[in-house]
Parts: sequence; C-alpha cells; structure tokens
Amino acid sequence: MHIPDGILPASVCLGGYVTAGAATWYSLRKIGRKEDPREGVPKASLLTAAFFVASWIHIPVPPASVHLVLNGLLGVVLGYYAFPAVLIGLFFQAVMFQHGGLSTLGVNATIMGIPALLAYYLFQLRNVVSKNNRVATTVFGFLAGAGGMGIGVFAAMVLLVTTVPAHVDAAAERASIYALTFAHIPLMVLEGVFTALVVLFLQRVKPDMLGENDKTSA
Amino acid sequence: MIKLQLDAYAHLNTILHRWDPRYKTIGLMALIFAFSFVQDLRLLPFMVLTTWILFVVSRLPLSFLLDRLRLPAYFLLIMAVLLPFLSGETVLFEIGPLAAKEEGCLQLLVITVRFICILTVAIILFGTTPFLTTIKAMHALGLPFILTDMAFFSYRYLYEIGDHLKTMERAMKMRGFQGRGLGAIGMFASLAGTILVRSCEQSDRVYKAMSLRGYGRPRCFSEEFQAGLRDRIGLLIVILVAMVFAGLQFIIR
Repeated sequence: MHIPDGILPASVCLGGYVTAGAATWYSLRKIGRKEDPREGVPKASLLTAAFFVASWIHIPVPPASVHLVLNGLLGVVLGYYAFPAVLIGLFFQAVMFQHGGLSTLGVNATIMGIPALLAYYLFQLRNVVSKNNRVATTVFGFLAGAGGMGIGVFAAMVLLVTTVPAHVDAAAERASIYALTFAHIPLMVLEGVFTALVVLFLQRVKPDMLGENDKTSA
Repeated sequence: MIKLQLDAYAHLNTILHRWDPRYKTIGLMALIFAFSFVQDLRLLPFMVLTTWILFVVSRLPLSFLLDRLRLPAYFLLIMAVLLPFLSGETVLFEIGPLAAKEEGCLQLLVITVRFICILTVAIILFGTTPFLTTIKAMHALGLPFILTDMAFFSYRYLYEIGDHLKTMERAMKMRGFQGRGLGAIGMFASLAGTILVRSCEQSDRVYKAMSLRGYGRPRCFSEEFQAGLRDRIGLLIVILVAMVFAGLQFIIR
C-alpha cells in the first residue's frame, strides 16, 4: 500500500499531489468551519500518533503475521481530520522509516486517505438505523474497515499495474488488477473484523469517540 | 519502540547543514521530482553523480544511509523478481517456463537507480536539519497551521504512545497471553482500542494545559530563518540542475 520513490512516473506523482492537495483543502475547509479549529488538533494529533503505533500491532495469521492498515478505523474515529492524519502519518513513515516516499507521498495519501473519508461517510450511515444498536455498529464498522482497505488496495493495484510494466496488453493488465485485488480479500476481511471489534470496544468504553466527528461535520 | 534517530547527524557543520532549511526544502524537493522524471538510461550516471556529490558534501556516514535503505529495499526486491518476467516482449534469457524480457530488465535498472537516488536525496534533506526545524520551515513556506500543529504534536507523542503499547503488550504476556492463532484478534482489538482511548483522554489534558500556556495565538516561524546570498545561490544551482534533468529527459524522450 505504500508505493516507494522511483517506482511511479513523475506525472502520476504530481497527479497524486494534486488530488491529495484537493482532499486536504476539502478536509481543512470542513475543519475550519468549527468555532475554534485548533480545539480538535491535540486530539487528532494524539490519535494520529496512536494509529501510527497501533498499525505496528502484528495479528497472527498462521504461519505468518500481518500488520493492519487501519485507514477505515481512522476515518470512523477522526472524521474530517482523517485525511490530514493520513498525510502526516505517511510523511512520518516516509521520512523516518523510508516506508513509502516523498515523491509518492501525494499518491499514497490519496489511495489511503480518500478511502478513510469514504469509510467515515459509510460509518455515519449507522445513524440511519440507530447509534446505539450493536448489530448496526458491527456491520458498519466491518464495512468501513474492509471497504477502506479494499478501495485503497484496488487503487494501488490499478496504479502499479497500469503505470509500471511496459508493453503489457490491456487484457493482461485487467486480469492482473483483479487477481491482485482478489488476493487481498482475506486481509480486507481481517481488517473489517478488527475494525468492527475496535469500534464495539469504543462504543462500550468511550462512546463519545464515535460521535465526536459530528461536531466537525458542520 | 524503534528510536528513530532521524536527525542524529543534524549537528554537523557542512554547507548543506548551514543551508537555510526553507531553501533546502524547495531545492532538494525540486531535485527529487526532477529525478522522478528520468526514464532515459543515459541520464542515470549523471543522476548517480549528482546524488553522490550531495552525499559526500553532507558528510553523513555511509552506514546511516545503508541502514535506511534496507527496509524499502524489500519492495524493490519484489519488483526485481516480477518485472523482468512480466514486462516487455524481447526475450533475454529463460529460467524453466519463465522468460526474462529485455525491456523489463532495463526498466528495473531505471527504477532501482531512481529509487536509490531519490531516497538518498530525501535522507540528505532530513538528515542535515533537525526534524522540527524542517517542519517550521515548511510552515514558513505556507504549510497550513493545522497540518503543522498536527505534525508537531504527533511527533511529540509518538514515542510516548509507542512506550504505552510496549508496556501493555508486556503486561498481557505476563498474564499468560500467548497471542497465537486468529482467536487472539479480539484481544489485539482491545489493545488497539485501549491505546486509542488513553490517547484521547491524554489529549484532553494536553489541550487544557496548552490553552493555559497560550496555545491558539497565531505564530510565525519565518522570523526564525534568515537567508543570505549563499542560500539563494545554492537554491539557484540546485534548481538549475533539476531543470537540466527534467529538460534533457523531455528533449530525448
């Protein structure tokens, strides 16, 4: 999911910065409508750091273990702060661990951050049923987690397959995109289950963390 | 938690270390983008030479660079295994039923060199300036205050929250948690949830404490930086080099 430097053509990298810039502008505009936009910054920042750390938790999937992306959960908890959070998280990862890259920061932020915003909107649909309904929270938590990762994986595969290898025919490209995306389905399910479990935990322990976004969505 | 030591050599005294961080950020980012334009094999030696000159001037240790190249190299390894066999038409050699193609191999060479050069320039950019100074420079260049503040706070609490996670994992192990099998996922979800709840509660206290100390007043970091003629000349040279790379690639395309 973190495309490194040097892999993608410059036009795609620049396009990524344009879309990331637009998504950041949209998010900051929504945040700026709050009475005091700085009020939510410490919370969003600490949660950004917490998500960064939580993504290091390795879930055992015998015979190996995987770490989760958590962009869907990030969207659910942070709302409009999710895109800036993804941008900063990826910037840290690129600079500190060389995981991802500076030239591909815009692309990576787009393929992870926009699904996070979509996951936020998806999770808000649970309010149509009931905020306190455990089944609705589980279902929409699962959809937000699996969907957030699924859309990101699909976007990453489309970019990699269509821009990196030269002289590959369209049918082979399409087949590769589908094959690589379907190969990630078990991970999407795992991400969805994990997100649903965390969301249920938050609903039980600190439910205002799930409703906090409403304040920023003015 | 891994101690990041990103700016462990930011105290050195070289031209690159003394360069105004705002100009350095603009210049080296322009060079990174110019490198990402390069697709022609003939430009690769010049790209390596430019990167090597910058690295030598920065006086960063080679071990520092190699340590930081290790992790992303795994992704490159995957590309190295797949690209020669998937990309191209002209067969170069065959391994059993698999045929390595010339176009794929050449493309792998371009990607590898571009990857190493861009990463090295990025390491020079962030290795020759204290990290927080770089963020201040970005703010002075127009980064919105919400992103600047979020970057400062996240950086400040990253280690602390990482230590919380380590402590909780140790406590779980001491209470007999093995963490094996998919059944453990519920416990891991509770662990992640606890990290989020603790961070959220801590942020309330942090916000109140910071409000008392005057947080919220507009700040301006641009006064902290003072560029001289040398800084401007440095920027001009690097921008020219970046333009030459992008221009040459455009001409010989």
